[in-house]
Amino acid sequence: MSDLALAIVIAGLTLVTLGTRSLFLLFGEHVTLPARIRHGLRYAPASALAALVAQQLVLSDQRLDMSILNPRLDAGLIALAVMLWTRSMLAAMGAGMAAFMLLRWLT
Amino acid sequence: MRAFAPAVIATGAWALVTGVAMVRSGLPLGPALAMSAFVYAGSAQLASLPLIVAGAPIWVVLLTATIVNLRFVVFSAGMQPYFRHLSVPRRLVLGYLTGDVGYLLMMRRFSGVAHDAAERSGQIWFFIGLAVSNWLVWQPLSVAGILMADRIPPSWGMDFIGVLALITLLAPSLTEAPAVVGVLVACVVAIVANALPLKLSVLAAVLAGVAAAIALEVVRERREAARSATSGSNE
Repeated sequence: MSDLALAIVIAGLTLVTLGTRSLFLLFGEHVTLPARIRHGLRYAPASALAALVAQQLVLSDQRLDMSILNPRLDAGLIALAVMLWTRSMLAAMGAGMAAFMLLRWLT
Repeated sequence: MRAFAPAVIATGAWALVTGVAMVRSGLPLGPALAMSAFVYAGSAQLASLPLIVAGAPIWVVLLTATIVNLRFVVFSAGMQPYFRHLSVPRRLVLGYLTGDVGYLLMMRRFSGVAHDAAERSGQIWFFIGLAVSNWLVWQPLSVAGILMADRIPPSWGMDFIGVLALITLLAPSLTEAPAVVGVLVACVVAIVANALPLKLSVLAAVLAGVAAAIALEVVRERREAARSATSGSNE
């Protein structure tokens, strides 16, 4: 890409960030969402982060790996279990990282 | 404070990974720094990098980033009641700063907009605190990733530390059944739909997750209404 094209892309991407993040903040008054949906939107960020995490755990180079030999998937699930059980971030990340390194070494 | 440590580590690790990825993909230093400073949206940056490097048409790059960012339109609908009383320039600034992490912590902290003006401004200041700290963590670590890209070997598994931090950040949200169902449905859709073009899978996952959580709430309320109706007739 030429320098000019790159500058246009970066400016465009900045506008995309601004536009998508503030769309409803600017025009939301003109739209009345049902209370049910408005309340349901509180589940959106957890769904988004879960989707990003799920793809990171099972996809590598666009290829799907759902086997129990996938170190990222196993280590991720172990970290989740430890976090839910102990509520300690340090324990969860330590267990996840240890499992990841061990499994990667084993497989 | 304990609630914020996972947020800081997740944000920092992703900033570093995004910075490294920009340089590794072949983006020159200047554009990489400009992208970090202005675009400020990790997932859209990562999605547009391969397209930029492959010399895809500008509209394809922008369309892909827009679709990756469409989840923020959903978030902005959730934030709208909190920011409704602010001026347009302030809404634009706060909107620009609304990332995944800030929105997650905001929704976890408050169940709705306060009716009292002082409380409402407290909610805004809570959000500003999240947004500013997110920016202060993201920018230096993204720049560090850009400058040290060659010195951070992939074998460190830096990106996996980011994934683990996101998991620990997410786990405390899994306390109510609708949230658990929403997250599970979002994961399944994100995986099943991963091959959709233009990264549509994440938006599909968010919409499906929210829809599933709402559906469960409706079912529960109906069941409760039916139960109280029958217990009422017994009395």
